[in-house]
Amino acid sequence: MNQPIVQVRDLEKSFIRGSEEIKVLNSLNLDVAEGEFLALMGPSGSGKTTLLNLIAGLDQPTSGQILVGDQMISEMTESQLARWRTRHVGFVFQFYHLIPVLTAYENVELPLLLLPLTASERRKQVRNALDLVGLVNRDNYRPGMLSGGQQQRVGIARAIVTDPTLIVADEPTGDLDSKSADEILTLLTVLREQLNKTIIMVTHDPHAAERAQRILHLEKGRLVSETVRDQRITIP
Amino acid sequence: MSVLYLGILAAIPLLCLMILIPFFIVLFLGEWSLRFLNLIAEQISQSSLPQSLRTVIGMVPKLMLMIFKSIQRNMLRTSLTYLATFVLVLVVTMVWSILAFIDAVTSDKAEDFKIIITERYQIPSQMPLTYISQVQAVLERLPPELRPTSDDFMTWSFVGGSLDPQKRTFENSIFLFCLDPICLRTMMDGIERKRSRKTGEVYDELSPEDAKAMEEIVQKMKANRQAIVVGKERLRILNKQVGDVIEVTSFNFKDIVFRFEIIGTFPEGRYDQSAAMNLEYLVQALEEYKREKRTAHPLADKSVNLIWIRLPNREAFNLVADVLNNSSEFSSPPVKVETASSAIGVFLEAYKDIFRGMRYLLSPAILITMALVISNAISISVRERRTEMAVLKVLGYQPWQIMLLVLGEAVLVGVISGFVSAGITVVVVNNILNGLKFPIAFFPAFFIPKAALWWGPVLGAGTAIAGSFLPAWSARTVKVSEVFSKIA
Repeated sequence: MNQPIVQVRDLEKSFIRGSEEIKVLNSLNLDVAEGEFLALMGPSGSGKTTLLNLIAGLDQPTSGQILVGDQMISEMTESQLARWRTRHVGFVFQFYHLIPVLTAYENVELPLLLLPLTASERRKQVRNALDLVGLVNRDNYRPGMLSGGQQQRVGIARAIVTDPTLIVADEPTGDLDSKSADEILTLLTVLREQLNKTIIMVTHDPHAAERAQRILHLEKGRLVSETVRDQRITIP
Repeated sequence: MSVLYLGILAAIPLLCLMILIPFFIVLFLGEWSLRFLNLIAEQISQSSLPQSLRTVIGMVPKLMLMIFKSIQRNMLRTSLTYLATFVLVLVVTMVWSILAFIDAVTSDKAEDFKIIITERYQIPSQMPLTYISQVQAVLERLPPELRPTSDDFMTWSFVGGSLDPQKRTFENSIFLFCLDPICLRTMMDGIERKRSRKTGEVYDELSPEDAKAMEEIVQKMKANRQAIVVGKERLRILNKQVGDVIEVTSFNFKDIVFRFEIIGTFPEGRYDQSAAMNLEYLVQALEEYKREKRTAHPLADKSVNLIWIRLPNREAFNLVADVLNNSSEFSSPPVKVETASSAIGVFLEAYKDIFRGMRYLLSPAILITMALVISNAISISVRERRTEMAVLKVLGYQPWQIMLLVLGEAVLVGVISGFVSAGITVVVVNNILNGLKFPIAFFPAFFIPKAALWWGPVLGAGTAIAGSFLPAWSARTVKVSEVFSKIA
């Protein structure tokens, strides 16, 4: 295994609902290697998305540590996390979440507006990202004019345009037909293979998970088993 | 009447559409200007400017463009917000125009400090003609630095009359300021040629055409005692035109019939309903009366109603007031000396409740309504776009940047609406309607000051910020994990 780029230690996350404390993640430990494609699976409420959000710096843990690269993101403020996300995380959503009034080009350009780049540098990076997802000829289309698969590809272009350390994908194929889903998964594989991107994907779909190098199974906030190339290992 | 109402109802959608057209044009031009700016920014980004500056130059047009596009996502809502803001800015502009005018005439002006001399104990004031020379003599005795020039002195005698002595009506009556014609351009508010006390520079508030026309009128009135100038509205009501000769039977100077030649009209505005005649003609008429009747006219010694003097400062005013109040020369009848602003203020005292209501009730109520209208629209928009705000946060946008984007949308609608509303109000009220016909005291109509062109956008922006602050704050505090957990 390569040097881990994500290290999660004794991670706990609980939510308060009324007077009740709901523990979503319980003493979770995890390492993700650089350039690894990892899938997180588990039943609803098992804590997959919560774990993904914590690794992506979208939420703060109740306790425990998350180290991404050399940054201890579990100790960052909201503002520091926002700055960190811009440079280090690309997020792919299930429902794409593109801004409907912006063109594909402008959607992809959005995260770059926060970086110290000149207009020409931005344009170059957006073109590269759209080229990579095969949509450079649709750059002027608004999301409503694109198919679901195309929209998701724009979403992936937006996620990779800042050349992030980590790509996190929450059910990226959940809203797509099987053909489009297959294309998206192929694209994610290409990103890992050609650009050495680290990808963490949450999915319910076993076929999608099969494209990952490693599958982690969560239940009730704990990692219960790990599958590496068809070999399932139960985590004690 | 019902046909009229139906007509008005039918005109409303058309009017709304006409009001919306400038908005759409501004949006269209704004968006394309930003695209163009973006191209320029791209060129600048290849220049040798510092990186941070090039980044900002490259980013700002993009974010502005995003704001422009965002307000177009629900055009119906945006248009309705724009229309509501437009109407409210229009009302505030008109109310403030009246208040600004009243404030201006009731406050002392360092550049144009005028005083009024009237009879102390009687309204209307009636002073003898001899008071004119007596007051001038008092002014002559002032220290040179406080002494006004002949251009700073004016007397008014009021002459009212009717074209039909048998049947006096509003339509055949005319009210004239009787004065030295030169004073029309030296002392009459609104049409006078002004001189800056500091720089000595002479300037005009009238357009060059109106100024030229007034100069010609003054010359004609000096040459022809019977020449008069009449307000356009009064001329229309009298059904007369320039060049006509009219006979006016005076109802205050009884048994005197004036034969006037209409030689011109006042510039549109303040004197639309008035007229002005040469004082020498009144003096001549009074003398003819005395010759014919072998007795002086009852008003011969009471024919001066007001004396206006422009003084350099309050010190001069105090000196003049001191002499006139205490001198035995001015004891029959005794006189009162006031600053013009305070005299007008006293006259407007009867309207103070209306002004207070306009200032402290109507204006704030409209501003609050404007803020609420904008707040409502932006709240709905933010509620609908919580996921979008969350996405921006995921992409790394800071809470304050999201807040700025939301505030920017509100301010954009407010500023465009305020500017278009104020612009249309200025053009329609001043140039098409010839003033806001809201007669108060002796002011028949009010004009929208040019300053309204900045009031409008500032009002729009201010109320937009006030109204959208809470929704923008709520957008700022969107919690990403909560938004996406609901979606999942």
